[in-house]
Amino acid sequence: MTKTMWLAAKDLRIEMRARDTLAPMLGFAATVALVLAFALPEASSAGDDVVSYVQAGFMWVTVLFAGLIGFGRTFEVERAEGALDSLLLVPVDRSALFVSKALSNLAFIVVLETVLLPLSALLFAYDLGGSWGALVAVVALVDVGFVAVGTLYAALAAQTRSRELLLPLLALPALIPVFIAALELTADLLLGAGFDALAARGWFGILVAFDVVFVTAGAVLFDAVLD
Amino acid sequence: MATASELRPRPAGLDALGAAAVASVAAALLLVFFVAREADVTMGGQLQRIFYFHVPSAWIAYLSFAIVFLASIAYLRTGAGRWDLLAHAAAEIGIVFTTLVLITGPIWARPVWGTWWQWDARLTSTLVLWLTYIGYLFLRSLASDEATVGRLAAVVGIVGFLDVPIVHFSVQWWRTLHPSGPTVANPTTGSGLGTPELTAFFASLLAFTLLFCWLLSLRLRIGRLAQRVELEEIERAAAETR
Repeated sequence: MTKTMWLAAKDLRIEMRARDTLAPMLGFAATVALVLAFALPEASSAGDDVVSYVQAGFMWVTVLFAGLIGFGRTFEVERAEGALDSLLLVPVDRSALFVSKALSNLAFIVVLETVLLPLSALLFAYDLGGSWGALVAVVALVDVGFVAVGTLYAALAAQTRSRELLLPLLALPALIPVFIAALELTADLLLGAGFDALAARGWFGILVAFDVVFVTAGAVLFDAVLD
Repeated sequence: MATASELRPRPAGLDALGAAAVASVAAALLLVFFVAREADVTMGGQLQRIFYFHVPSAWIAYLSFAIVFLASIAYLRTGAGRWDLLAHAAAEIGIVFTTLVLITGPIWARPVWGTWWQWDARLTSTLVLWLTYIGYLFLRSLASDEATVGRLAAVVGIVGFLDVPIVHFSVQWWRTLHPSGPTVANPTTGSGLGTPELTAFFASLLAFTLLFCWLLSLRLRIGRLAQRVELEEIERAAAETR
């Protein structure tokens, strides 16, 4: 028993000195709380609205976290096998490398959503009516921004200690606009709004702006991340 | 090898800046508490005076993060360490003032709105801002080696700042579409601020700005001294192995 305590004390002492785990954990917790605050409707609103909101919230929180776990592995193969230098020697522009990594991440997230969305619809009895097409448009716009930020920050976090904690800590606050837009649009769809009503609300504008800004930023800044 | 005598003394300009900052803070305090009149009870009466600290803190926070943004771009373009140091210093000070904003806001809100916190556009985007730069500092402390810290931090300094207007806009929209609970009155406009109040406000703004310049200069000096100490230690170690 004493030995066990000694070993535990050793771990705590290491953490006291390096502070690599606890502090990012607290930061991570704060960002998760922030995301969940958006996923919950206000206490004062009532009716169908609440259910649609919570359903949309659950769905997008799931996509967000599953996505970030996947993105965290963007450079895992290269890192583990020490092949990052070789990859950087491939005679392409760094922005092309960014796009290639983003595309593979996009493929992962699309497969994930293709499984998750119909399954959720089945399990939680979503009533989408004929709005599946509109949902696909929303998902596509969300995915582009999500993948752009996720890939850029994954490349960045891969070069740090505690990268599993740092990626969500950095990415979640940045993704708030995408998350809100996704939530609003999906909740509307679940409430039976058509594509025209959706487009009229202007959230597509925010999604497009976010996508353009962060795809550009990722392509331009990837060079600085992988030097 | 450099000795202690070679260390430059604290520049006189820094002390003068410090004196100016302290004097202007004192003057601002007098104006805020004795010249500005008590606000309407709907704005919290005496409590409204917290805005003379709250709003300038927010201004300094935005100023700091704008400096982080510009210094990060300059660092990526030139690779000069002084830009990285400037970005780091400004981010630390920006977090301190954002924290002040997040503390002084609820102190006022609790008695006046009846709640510590509201998921209102301004509050929420300030919280997002705070978390973004907390992440920035974590990244700085967790980067695997010294050479990469500056590059990676610069990327977050740029991306984080680009996100600020989008976050603010989206959160504002989100709230506007769900109006409920008490509405958030803008504390600085439309509340019948007269000349005494405006004088106190701008004096406070000036005092905070001078304080910021002083803090930033001190932080930059600490950074430069830290770099020198590190350099000297390396030189000493190199001399010993010879």
